[in-house]
Amino acid sequence: MRRPSALPAAAVTALAALALAACAPQAPEEADAPATGGSTAAAAGSDTLTIATTTDVVNYNPLIGNSRSDYWITNLMYPHLLSIADDGSKEPMLATDWGYVDDTTGYYEIRDDFMWSDGEPLTADDVAYTLNAVKRDAPAGTFYGQMGTFEAESAVAVSDTRVEFTLTEPDTSLVEEIGFWGNVVPQHVFEPAGSVAEFANDGSDGGWVSAGPYLLTDVQAGQSYTMERVEPYPLVEGGVPGPETVVYRVLPDVNTEILALQSGEVDAIANALPPAQVEQLRSTEGIEVVEVVGLGYAHMVYNMDNPDLAKTEVRQALAHAADYESIRQVVLQGQAVSTGSSALMPVLADYYDESLTEYEFDPELSRSLMEQAGYTAGPDGMFPVSFRLIYSLQDSVGSQWAQLVQASAAEAGITIELQGTERNTYLAMTNEGDYDIYAGNFAIMDDPVTNFRLSYLPGGAINYTHVDDPELNELIAQAGVTTDEDEKIELMRQAAAIVHEQVYDNIMYTQNLYVAHSSDWTGFISKPSELLSIVNPVSVASARKTDG
Amino acid sequence: MTNPIPDTELVPAVDQPALDEPAVDEPAGTDGTRAGRATWRAFRRQPLGMISLGVLALLVLMSVAAPLLSAAPASFSVDVLRPPGGDHWFGTDALGREVFAEVVWGARQSLLVAGAASLIAIVVGTLVAVAGAYVPAVDSVVGVVVDLTLSLPVLPLMILVAALAGPSTTTIILVIAAFSWPEVTRLVRSQALSVVHLPYVDAARLMTGRHGWIIGRHVIPAVTPVIVVSVVVTASRAVLSAAGLAFLGLGDPTVWSWGRILYEAQQSGAMVNAWWLTLFPSLAILALVLSATLLSIAYNDARNPRNHDR
Repeated sequence: MRRPSALPAAAVTALAALALAACAPQAPEEADAPATGGSTAAAAGSDTLTIATTTDVVNYNPLIGNSRSDYWITNLMYPHLLSIADDGSKEPMLATDWGYVDDTTGYYEIRDDFMWSDGEPLTADDVAYTLNAVKRDAPAGTFYGQMGTFEAESAVAVSDTRVEFTLTEPDTSLVEEIGFWGNVVPQHVFEPAGSVAEFANDGSDGGWVSAGPYLLTDVQAGQSYTMERVEPYPLVEGGVPGPETVVYRVLPDVNTEILALQSGEVDAIANALPPAQVEQLRSTEGIEVVEVVGLGYAHMVYNMDNPDLAKTEVRQALAHAADYESIRQVVLQGQAVSTGSSALMPVLADYYDESLTEYEFDPELSRSLMEQAGYTAGPDGMFPVSFRLIYSLQDSVGSQWAQLVQASAAEAGITIELQGTERNTYLAMTNEGDYDIYAGNFAIMDDPVTNFRLSYLPGGAINYTHVDDPELNELIAQAGVTTDEDEKIELMRQAAAIVHEQVYDNIMYTQNLYVAHSSDWTGFISKPSELLSIVNPVSVASARKTDG
Repeated sequence: MTNPIPDTELVPAVDQPALDEPAVDEPAGTDGTRAGRATWRAFRRQPLGMISLGVLALLVLMSVAAPLLSAAPASFSVDVLRPPGGDHWFGTDALGREVFAEVVWGARQSLLVAGAASLIAIVVGTLVAVAGAYVPAVDSVVGVVVDLTLSLPVLPLMILVAALAGPSTTTIILVIAAFSWPEVTRLVRSQALSVVHLPYVDAARLMTGRHGWIIGRHVIPAVTPVIVVSVVVTASRAVLSAAGLAFLGLGDPTVWSWGRILYEAQQSGAMVNAWWLTLFPSLAILALVLSATLLSIAYNDARNPRNHDR
C-alpha cells in the first residue's frame, strides 16, 4: 500500500453500487465526444511544453510506480481505464462503460480507437493481460493493492473491446477502483519480458511503446525527460495532442521551480505550490494559478497499542487539544476545508454527514477528559504523559502543523514530542507501528468503503490506529456488499460516527491544491489531487500556446 | 635535532620525587606571562581583531541573554510573511513567527554546536597529535589515519551519518566533531613534532620518566597558540557545517538554529520572494564565521614576537 502525498488508498464511489444495480451506468457524455468533456480543441502545433518537477523517474514500469514523476510520465504513455471527477465519481477514459454482470463478475467496455505507438491496436487482450499479470506477479504498488477480491487469471477478453473478470466475493468497489488506479500496458512488450513485478521497462531494448498522448524519447537522468507526440490520441478533439514535445525538467526544489517559471525557463510546475506562495503568484503577471480540488485529507492517528492512547478519553483529550482552525488559516492560508473531523469529507457530497462536527479546540475540556481518564496534572500543570508524534520532513505542510499541534497540546497539559524524519525512515516507522501519534496525509480517498476497510479493519494496510472494534468491523463489512446506495451511505455514516466518537482517526482537513503555469499556455484541464492536477494526459494533450 | 640518547634509556628511574612538584616560579612561566601580555598589547593594536572580538562577544552575549532580548519564537501568528519593519524587525516567516526571535534564539543552538563540536575536536585532535609527535611508533599510524580521514568526502559522509542517526543536537555535534579533529591533529602535530625535539624537552626527559608531565608541562603549552587558532577556526567551521546540515533537513527540527531558519524558508517555498528569511540568518552566520576567522588571524599575528613592541 502506498501512501501520503504519493499514491494513497482508495478509489471508487457511489457509482459502483449504481453499476451493480443497473448494470449499465454512467458515461453520460461518452458516446462520441472526447471522454473528459468540456475540453477545448487542442490546436496541434510544433510547440514544446516544458514542465518542472523535483524528482527523477525511479520506475518506468507503471505497474510498480514510485515517485510522482514516475506517475506523471508513465501516465502519458499507459492509459488508465477510468478517470475521476472533482466529486470523486469516475469518468470514462480508455473504458467507455463498466460495471457488474452479476455479483461476482465485473466488466469493462473499452474504446476501439487506441493504438500503441508501434502500430499495434490496443485491445481488450492488453487489458486482460495487464489485470492477470498484476494479480499473478504482485508488483509493489497501489495497483496490486487494489486487487484484493480479483480472482487470479480470471480476466478474459470476450471481444476486442470487452473484458470480463471474476471476483472472489461480492465487492461493489473493485471495478471502479482498479479501473482508476491501474494503467494498461502493451501485452506484446510486457509479456515477453517475464514478471511485471521485475520488468524495468527502461527503454534499454529499443525505447518505449506508448498509447499516447506522448512517447518518451530521451532521458537525461537528473535533468530532463523528453517526450514526443503520439498520434492518434482519441481523447482530444481531432486526435492530435497540442504540444509536439513535452519536456519534464528536473529542478532541485519548489523555490527553483518558481524562479524558472517566472523567468520563462519552464511553462508549468507539476508540483503543488506551497500555500504561502499562492497569493503571491496569483498576482504575478504572466503566471496563471489553477486550483486542483482536494480529494484526500490530512490526519493524526493515535496508536492504540500505547496503553495511554488505548483509553478513549485520552484520544478525545488529544482531539480537543489541537487548534484546527488556526492550522487551516496559518499553515494552509485558508486553502483547506474542515471535514467535520470525519473521513466522509464534504467533497464526497453523497456521504458527507453534517451532524458530525469538528472537535472543538478546548484545552480545558481536554484537561477534564484527562482527569476522567485517571491522570493528575503535576504542579507545572502537565499530565505525566508524553506522546511521540512522527511526521515526514518532506511534507512541508505537515512539518509546520506538527509544531502547532505540539504547542496547543501543551496548553492542555499534554506533552507531545515531535519526531520529524526523512520520508523513508518515516514510512518504515509507520509500518512498524513505531509511533504514538502518526501525522500524515492521503492524496485521494475517494471511495469511503475501501478507505474504511483499509483504515479501520484489523490488518488493514493503513490501520495506523491498530483499532479492532467489532461493531465498526461489522458495519464496514456490510457496506462492502450492500448494493443499495442509500443503505450503503447510511451504513458508512454510522461507521463514521463511531470513528468520530471514539477518535479512531482524527481527520483535520481537505487541502485544495494550487498549481501554476505560464499564461503563454492555455487549455489545461485540472483534475483532483497532485497526481493528476494539470499534468494528467488529457490536460497536457489539450494544452496549447495562447495567440500572440 | 636528534636525540643522543635512545628512547629506551630514557625510561624511568621510577621515582623521581624531586620533579613531581615543579618549581613555582619557573622562568618558563613568567616568560609565558610576559609573552601573553606582549601578545595582548600587539593584538589591541589591530582594529580588525578588536572588532571581531567585539562581534563575537556580542553574539555570545546575545545567545546568553536571548530570553531578555526576545520572547521565544511563538508557534504561529496570523501575520504571515510580513517584511521587516517597525512591528517585525526582521520580518516574519511562513508561519508568522518573528525572524528576529528565531535569529536570537538560533544563536544559542549555533554557538552550542560550535562550542561543543570544536571542544571535542580540539581535545581529541590535540591528544592524538601530541601522542603521535611524542611517541614515534604511534606517529606513522596517526599520520595515515589523519591523511585518510582528510581525504574522505566530508559533507556526503556527514549527511549519511546524520541521516542514519536521526536528527538531534547530539548527533550534529558528534558528527561535526568526528570530521573536524583530523584537521586539528594535522595542525597541532606539525607544531608538536618540532617541539618534542627541542633541547629543553630532551632535558626534561633526562630528568623524569613521567611522560604525561612532560607533555602537559612542556609540549602542550608550546602548541597552545596553534590550538587557540584552531579552536576558533574549527568552531566557525562547525557553525557552517551545522547550518549546512540543518538546511538539508538534518538538524534538530525542534530547536531553533540559523540553519533551521534557512531550511524552513526553503521548505515553505518562501525563499523566492521573502528575502528577509534568508538574509538575516545568513548575516548572523557571516558575522560569526568572519569574526572568528579574523580573530584567529589577528591573534596569530599578535603572538608573532616580530610584531611585539621593540
